[in-house]
Amino acid sequence: MKSEELKNQEYKYGFTTEIENFRAPKGLTEETIRLISKIKKEPKWMLDWRIKAFNRLKALKEPNWQKPKYPKIDYQNLYYYSAPKSMKDKPKSLDEVDPKLIETYNKLGIPLNEQKRLSGVAVDAVFDSVSVATTFKGELDKKGIIFCPISEAIQKHPDLVKKYLGSVIPISDHYFATLNSAVFTDGSFVYIPPNTRCPMELSTYFRINASETGQFERTLIVADKGSYVSYLEGCTAPMRDENQLHAANVELVALDDAEIKYSTVQNWYPGDKNGVGGIYNFVTKRGACRGKNSKISWTQVETGSAITWKYPSCILQGDNSVGEFYSIAITNNHQKADTGTKMLHLGKNTKSKIISKGISAGKADNTYRGLVDISANAKNSRNYTQCDSLLMGNKCGAHTIPYIKNKNSSSTVEHEATTSKINEDQLFYCNQRGLNQEEAVSLIVNGFCKEVLQQLPMEFAVEAQKLVSISLEGSVG
Amino acid sequence: MEQLFNIDFKKISTSSNKEELERKKYFDLFLKTGLPNKKNESWKFSDLNFIISKNFKQIANYDNFKFDKKIELINDFDHNHIILINGVFKSCDIRFEEKEKVKIERLNSLKGISNQSNNNLHNLNQALSLGGFNLEVQKDYKCKKPIIIYNYFTSNLDNKIINNSNQIKLNQNSELILIEYNIGEQCKFLKNTFEKININKGSELKTFTIQKTKSNGYFYKNISGTQDYNSSYQNFILSSGLKFNKIEIDMDLVKENASCYILAGLILGKEEHQEIKTRVNHMATNCKSYQKIKNVLQKDSKGVYQGKIFVKDNAQKTDAYQLSKALILDDRAEFNAKPELEIYADDVKCSHGSTSGSIDDDAIHYLMTRGIELPIAKKLLINGFINEIFEKIPEEKLKIFLEKSIKEQVNGI
Repeated sequence: MKSEELKNQEYKYGFTTEIENFRAPKGLTEETIRLISKIKKEPKWMLDWRIKAFNRLKALKEPNWQKPKYPKIDYQNLYYYSAPKSMKDKPKSLDEVDPKLIETYNKLGIPLNEQKRLSGVAVDAVFDSVSVATTFKGELDKKGIIFCPISEAIQKHPDLVKKYLGSVIPISDHYFATLNSAVFTDGSFVYIPPNTRCPMELSTYFRINASETGQFERTLIVADKGSYVSYLEGCTAPMRDENQLHAANVELVALDDAEIKYSTVQNWYPGDKNGVGGIYNFVTKRGACRGKNSKISWTQVETGSAITWKYPSCILQGDNSVGEFYSIAITNNHQKADTGTKMLHLGKNTKSKIISKGISAGKADNTYRGLVDISANAKNSRNYTQCDSLLMGNKCGAHTIPYIKNKNSSSTVEHEATTSKINEDQLFYCNQRGLNQEEAVSLIVNGFCKEVLQQLPMEFAVEAQKLVSISLEGSVG
Repeated sequence: MEQLFNIDFKKISTSSNKEELERKKYFDLFLKTGLPNKKNESWKFSDLNFIISKNFKQIANYDNFKFDKKIELINDFDHNHIILINGVFKSCDIRFEEKEKVKIERLNSLKGISNQSNNNLHNLNQALSLGGFNLEVQKDYKCKKPIIIYNYFTSNLDNKIINNSNQIKLNQNSELILIEYNIGEQCKFLKNTFEKININKGSELKTFTIQKTKSNGYFYKNISGTQDYNSSYQNFILSSGLKFNKIEIDMDLVKENASCYILAGLILGKEEHQEIKTRVNHMATNCKSYQKIKNVLQKDSKGVYQGKIFVKDNAQKTDAYQLSKALILDDRAEFNAKPELEIYADDVKCSHGSTSGSIDDDAIHYLMTRGIELPIAKKLLINGFINEIFEKIPEEKLKIFLEKSIKEQVNGI
């Protein structure tokens, strides 16, 4: 495995759709926020909420404790709102959607037209900042499930939004979360009524399109008592040379006996071979298991972005609640990842499980950073953590930084971590059976990640497996 | 901070004006940021500023070195000894060794001990250090008997601070067992020690830290060192009994085949707080490091382990392991761990494990079915839990002595 021989696979999804953009003026000001709020036809309470976040933001400092350092971001030099102009009046049906957009989605393989019936996926596709169309609405409506852009939810379901928005990630949270609260443009809103099992996987594909536009998504998923939902998030972005900031917030709320499964496949532009360009993925994801016996499960496959910096977390408030985190983070070339999870055990008999697989190749740096905190009241709680790292070559790094706190004599915390390279014997065995080096590595890495890949829904599992192989293509010589 | 520290530089006998100025310069540097608090990542779990401010109203430096009490020596096994009174070198006796082979003297020079500009306690130490000992073992000499450092703390230390520094050097192919034996009276004081270790090619150093009596001391010890080709360093920490104790170990394995073992067995009683922070830097191929930290936590106690294994990109074939285990006996006790790996080489075997929880119910059940009562069964299991760390000590008498001291502690639970 010689890193000099590293080659970079051309970014498969590197294309830009030429659509005239409507942009708010550059800069982070109260005017920009008012403008966003006005464009979104938001009620006053929402604007006030944004302004409150903006005022709070002024007092906050950008954090700098993370391992991957990046050049200072000039927040005044970014656009905070950009929407395809032809979208100003929302299309009533798919036919009205700009054909160029449809073309883009087709290239991405989003089942928006005929494919939607075949794949059984309802897609709320976000093109930059405005949701284009939402499919499968009828079927979801019948069950009383709300799945719509959050801007629509703010108008149509203000009570629900008011009740839950910011209840997991408060506006006084850290810098990027607060920034998002002030300037978020759109995202998804999901509400599953009591005792309802969502009949299909809900999915959103994001695309960052306009250059210099930080995309600020806001997702809120509420699973009411006894309900179940599985949500998929997948991302690809066109090739760009400038670094683009992506600071999304995702909030999950699970009430009594509810379960939320949140899966992500992230394959944003990682920058070129020399580490130029690429997306900064600074996302805040947090779920609250508020009710008894509730469960939140995060699964992520992170292969893209120049810098991935996120910690999908679970706040286990309800007794007997369960939090899970399954992660694969692959970094190649100059990519950097600092990711992991936080499991905060507050209720009794709460359980959490963390499985993290990190793979670094090229000159990449991969860090697992996690927190398991068992409070004094969380009697009989249990945590199991396993983080494994795989290194390819001696120019990359793999780091594990777990924080473990246990304040309880009846709780058990277990943590295991290993770091190694691909086993020579396994490689030899595969070679012997006629697989070339690259195929062998791909097979072994897929096996290494299997525990996590298994957690993904069918639609994603296939794509993710391919991604794992593609991401490492050329990393073995 | 200035109100807390009432430092009189006249109490320190300095050799020159220059030295006094130097000390004052370091003290001013220290005052700028004061004692570290939890905002500092290395003090995240042990907020020293908070702990000291809560327990001390004023801290003065120490100048009374009169001591005429006789120290009761250990008679379980033959040994040489060094006596330190309140951190300052008093006397030594190396009757079992060849005199010219082992050099022990009071450490005067403060310079070159360590270079840790980002550690503010180092500035404090540089400002106030009164010296400790300087120990050097000559080339090809293997010490016949262990050296025990009797670290005695007198009864007039209330609200005082002790700063000292030690230097240990093992020349090529030498061997030494060093036991630090802390004995103190019931005083509330602060101790800040910096120790520099240099283990040369083919040498072997074993150190032990034992706290004899429960003490109201608040201790900080920083050990930093380098290890040469084929050298071995083993550090056993049995320092239970202090109100606060933090031991920071930073070892550089600079040449091939060096090995570094850090083993700790702590039984923390009421309101005790101990932290072990390690950083093992693998900078050459084929080095080995092994860390095993065991804590038994009783009511209101807090145990912390922050360990880091760093593997440089050229340190292939590294074998590094970290394990921290905690038995939490009471709901008010707390255990925090941060076992960290930072790895830049691919052909390595690095792993860590960390567990914390209560005593295994199945094991208790098993023992009780054999007719052993619950309290005894518990003690038996705790004893076994801690004793595991001595398993590899070949010196039989020393091992028995250590096991005895652990047994006493377990019986006190």
